[in-house]
Amino acid sequence: MPRLSSPFRNVVAGLVLAVAVAGCDHVTDPDGPNLNDRFGPFRLVEPLAASSQTVDFAAGQSIVFTAQFNKQTDWVLEITGTQSGAVKRIEGFSRELTAENARWDGGTTDLPLFRAEPVTAALFFPSEAGSDTTRATTSATSIRSYPGEVVTGFEESDDATLFLGNFEFDFDLSLTGVNNDVPAAEGERFYRLRGTDNTLDNFFVGLLQITSPSADGYFAVPTTIPEDLFLNAFLYNFEAEFTIVILEVVADANGNGRFDDGTDTIIGSGDIRLDEPGWTAFSRSAADFGLTEAQASQIVAVRAVLISDNTAQPTSREPVDFGVDYITFTAGGPLQL
Amino acid sequence: MRTLRSGLLLIAAVLVAAPTASAQDDELGGPPDEANAPGLRFNGLGRTLIQQTDLGGQLADADTTTAEALADGEFVLDLAVNAQPNRVTEVQGILRLRNEFGGFFGSGVTVEVRELWARGIVAGAIEYRVGDMDYALTPFTVFLPEADGVVNTPEAFVPLRERVAYEEFYTGRNERRLQGGRLDFGLAFDQLVDELDVRTFIARLRATDFLDTPTRLIGGGRLGATSAAFGPLASKVGLGVNLASTWDDLDSGDANEGIRNHVVTVDGDIGVVDRPAYAVAVVGEAGTSVAKFDEVLGEGQTRDPEAGPLLRETDTFFEVGIEADLKPSGVGVSARFVNIGPDFFSAAAQSKRVDFARRPGSFNRIGNERDLRPVGLFDLSRDAALYTFRVEDRLMQYDPRFNNTLPYGRATPNRRGVHLGVDYAPEGGPLDAELLVALLSEIRGQGTTELKDFALVRASADVPVAPLIGYGRDLAVSLGTQVESTSRGGGEFETVDLTSTLFEVGLVAEVYDRLDVLLGAKTRSSSGSDYVPQVENFNDVRDFPGRFVTDDRESLLAGGLRYRFRDDVYLTVQVQQFRYGDDATPEDDYRFDQVFALYTMSF
Repeated sequence: MPRLSSPFRNVVAGLVLAVAVAGCDHVTDPDGPNLNDRFGPFRLVEPLAASSQTVDFAAGQSIVFTAQFNKQTDWVLEITGTQSGAVKRIEGFSRELTAENARWDGGTTDLPLFRAEPVTAALFFPSEAGSDTTRATTSATSIRSYPGEVVTGFEESDDATLFLGNFEFDFDLSLTGVNNDVPAAEGERFYRLRGTDNTLDNFFVGLLQITSPSADGYFAVPTTIPEDLFLNAFLYNFEAEFTIVILEVVADANGNGRFDDGTDTIIGSGDIRLDEPGWTAFSRSAADFGLTEAQASQIVAVRAVLISDNTAQPTSREPVDFGVDYITFTAGGPLQL
Repeated sequence: MRTLRSGLLLIAAVLVAAPTASAQDDELGGPPDEANAPGLRFNGLGRTLIQQTDLGGQLADADTTTAEALADGEFVLDLAVNAQPNRVTEVQGILRLRNEFGGFFGSGVTVEVRELWARGIVAGAIEYRVGDMDYALTPFTVFLPEADGVVNTPEAFVPLRERVAYEEFYTGRNERRLQGGRLDFGLAFDQLVDELDVRTFIARLRATDFLDTPTRLIGGGRLGATSAAFGPLASKVGLGVNLASTWDDLDSGDANEGIRNHVVTVDGDIGVVDRPAYAVAVVGEAGTSVAKFDEVLGEGQTRDPEAGPLLRETDTFFEVGIEADLKPSGVGVSARFVNIGPDFFSAAAQSKRVDFARRPGSFNRIGNERDLRPVGLFDLSRDAALYTFRVEDRLMQYDPRFNNTLPYGRATPNRRGVHLGVDYAPEGGPLDAELLVALLSEIRGQGTTELKDFALVRASADVPVAPLIGYGRDLAVSLGTQVESTSRGGGEFETVDLTSTLFEVGLVAEVYDRLDVLLGAKTRSSSGSDYVPQVENFNDVRDFPGRFVTDDRESLLAGGLRYRFRDDVYLTVQVQQFRYGDDATPEDDYRFDQVFALYTMSF
């Protein structure tokens, strides 16, 4: 066997070392979707279950739903209030429901908000044709505490802070007012404004004015920074086609702590058209309203105005109609359902 | 330490040895032929193809929507104008005149520039070429892998394959057609280092659309050195550093995102011993790749934090082996161990010749359901539109029936194992034969932790029968086969078991002066199943559309005559029949019967 020269051995050794180092470092986690998940038949291993039979959301409790299946798949957990009709929907793609992906803190996806009521939870699998829905029940003994300052929830029919401005006698007073014709977005009642703009041809039907019950006449707000302060309201669409809603914030201009028409600054949201039937959550920052920081600290009234889309109305005017509920001020962003 | 010292000595020797500059010389990219006097020359290629294809079989019997026969063809004249104003400068342009069969009075006629380039030598030392060029570096940097569905093409199928190769600029040296420029030079030394060669290139792969598609470029080169013979065994060492970078120019158009793919390799060819009776060499290449997206944000723009970081993947590979040449017997053997990382991505080395995302040009939809017809041997043997030389920015679609072990050539990622080879080609011997075996497995599972195992056997032989039987004219038989097996264990949805067999046999017999009888057959059968991934982001598996199940077979038979007017001028008339059948759907079996005449003239 011929003996290799020293430089030659060094070159070979260097190359062997280089290729050995080069070949030692690969990421070996499987690539692509798991084949069992992608093609295997679906089977429920453990049905849906709730972590407790009752839950006190107001005390900060939450409830965990659990279930297991044999593969990763798309799932939808739909929790429905048996009285309110509120719906919370949690979606995921996993092999099981755990505290990480199926915890419910009392929040809502589709209005209305949950009440203290029994709820049913249904788990179904949209990607698994023919799969059964598995269900569980639990009961909420209290509702979740939502952050922010509440302007009003319209729960009292004789609330002195509410003023209905039926200036042109357009309102249908048999339906306008605090009521529960449909499930309220929050609590038991909401405020409905319904009328027909057929007295004067001027769009305006009427308004609801809410003033502060506080001693200084100003609404409590969680922040006065206009960019961080949000006005929230739930609006109900009764599918009256020509309805326009305007929400207004009134800032005290003379510092007397009460609303003085013609003196105080009224800042409106602009036209709000309700496209989807039922309840809709509306939110807008004080900055978008146009309030200054000083004005945000001196809000003396919040108003909901009912407008008829007069240019689109037929000659024979049709009623316009909407509901409003749970007006709040929040800080940092819109009210999180 | 001794290795480092040796390396420094080598570099020092390169620097101090008196170098002699010389231009590189190769067949296509080399300098102008100084033996030719300056002047203007005309050459080129003329080709006429007329063919008629009839559709038959059970599928055609029930098919009331598809035409039963197609006649098509073309007349092509490529006129090359070659000018050599002096001994160190050469320019060439090829003007193509083409007429579709059936086109008259300008209809179907196209006139286009097929090729333009200029080349020369600067100061007698630096060779340059600009314009169209064919380029290859190493199998892991810039390289055109071999085509699918071919082992040893029978002579009967060669004319149509030559047409495909000509149309797609396949040179037979695994080069890609690029459009850009190259600069090469070499240095010769008196001591230690025999020669040092430097090759650089840059080319444009794609032009911007001035909107969101940026210009794509490729560039790189090679620095190679070959040592002088040293030691008692007259050993020689050849080393090279290679770079291939593909990138998008984000200053072009309005694009703000593009790719970056950089591949750096080191290759070595170490001649351990070279004696009259035998030679042994250690060969190998190792390197790394980076594939990533890059982004340019406008003034004041910030990246959306929810969008996550831009993709960046890096991986390594190596291939090392030994080659032995037993010179008197004409036997060569080789063994290589390869380890190609799953994320190793080299756009210019892994882009395939056959683009299986394209559809066949003839009878692309057949049957009453107007289903797309999959690519088969019939199409691979003739349809130039299925082939490409382009550099893609992701792993291309492949068909596991034709190539499942190495669909992207030697640079196929996610492979680890051995390649074994034996070739037998004695001078004046009874045959030339070659056997290649690849036993590989995945490094990373696809959709599972289970790994696929691949076994590939390719064998070919050319047997000159005439001297064996005392026949006075040319008579030769060619054989080729490829047997491929893929398997994977695991659960019901993880298991894979796919076997494919390709077989080729051909005969060419000169029966009269320059008149040949050509016979050829190709068959392929596949059975079993596998998953063929859909790929995104260079080489990531996005999804598996479904289990690829096959139990099909196809055959392509050819018979005809060829008359060779000269070596580069011939006319062939052939009858070919193609059959396709799948046991799962026998009612969809079909057949093509084709007759064609092809006249080719190189001048």
